[in-house]
Amino acid sequence: MNEANLEPKLKLLAVFAHPDDESFICGGTFAKYGREGVDMTLVSATRGEMGRRMGNPPYLNRETIAAARELELQEACKHLGIGTLQFMDIRDKTVEFIDEETLTSRVESLIREIDPDVVLTFHEKFGGHPDHCAIGKATTAAFRRSASRGALYFITFGEAMKRPERYGYTRQDVVKIDVGAHLEAKLAAFRAHRCQTEIDEWVWLPDREALAHFGRHEYFLKGNTEAPQRSQHDLF
Amino acid sequence: MMNKISKPQVEAELRKFVGADVYVHSEATSFVFVRNFKVNVTEALIAGEGRYRAALRFDGHGWLRMEELTHYEVDGRGRLLLAGYDDRGRMNVALHLGREPFPE
Repeated sequence: MNEANLEPKLKLLAVFAHPDDESFICGGTFAKYGREGVDMTLVSATRGEMGRRMGNPPYLNRETIAAARELELQEACKHLGIGTLQFMDIRDKTVEFIDEETLTSRVESLIREIDPDVVLTFHEKFGGHPDHCAIGKATTAAFRRSASRGALYFITFGEAMKRPERYGYTRQDVVKIDVGAHLEAKLAAFRAHRCQTEIDEWVWLPDREALAHFGRHEYFLKGNTEAPQRSQHDLF
Repeated sequence: MMNKISKPQVEAELRKFVGADVYVHSEATSFVFVRNFKVNVTEALIAGEGRYRAALRFDGHGWLRMEELTHYEVDGRGRLLLAGYDDRGRMNVALHLGREPFPE
């Protein structure tokens, strides 16, 4: 009926470590591309089952948290327009101890199967959490081995990459996405991660006040600088 | 749902594991966890008021002691799940006992 529907969809693959990485770090960007019809797959290495926040007041324990966080992530994905969610079934806090070649091969087969236009993951050194760095390192290696096309980007925290010089990067290395029109969806995703955000009073303020806590932009570092120069404001 | 520890009830639940081979998940969040240590429990004890201390003697020569426990649950599979939370729901410690291995 609509010819646009016959065009191949743009595809994005995100390979992260824990439920909530997608919402807390770059939820606005997912919401934006979700609304633009990009076909998005999220792979979470773990279910975040070793997390410390157990609801406020607490209602979870070590044996119940995995299922709760899986459901929360499913809900967050709906708000962000992420169509496919997969888990690698690695225990939280042990990603760096998984054989590197095994991990890389698993991500490599995902990339070959999905054939994404854009791959998002963590920077292997600046990822923050050991699980983040480990999945970032494996995904970067897998991308280099498998991608015949497409672009790799590292997700970054908050406005750290507003001034990339501090980290040894230049503006040319950074893509700055305007997510100003998608903050409601990002807030809904934060709230979906209920056991993680109940402790943060601002998340549960009236929408208008809560939304004021978000920045208008999310920043990404280019992972394959050899790729042709793209727009500084778009991942695709 | 996690319940605030009632010492007599938890004491009774702990006693059920004495004399048995038990799988243990023990954790001080952010610093260390062990999962599925298998020990033969010879004594299982609880002490304290409000914030509790629990200890296992095992294998004839071993001790495992944890403090700052606040909540517990006996789940549908007869596992005793003890945990200690701060006043905002963050878990500090956990001690889980079960007769079968916990999911890895």
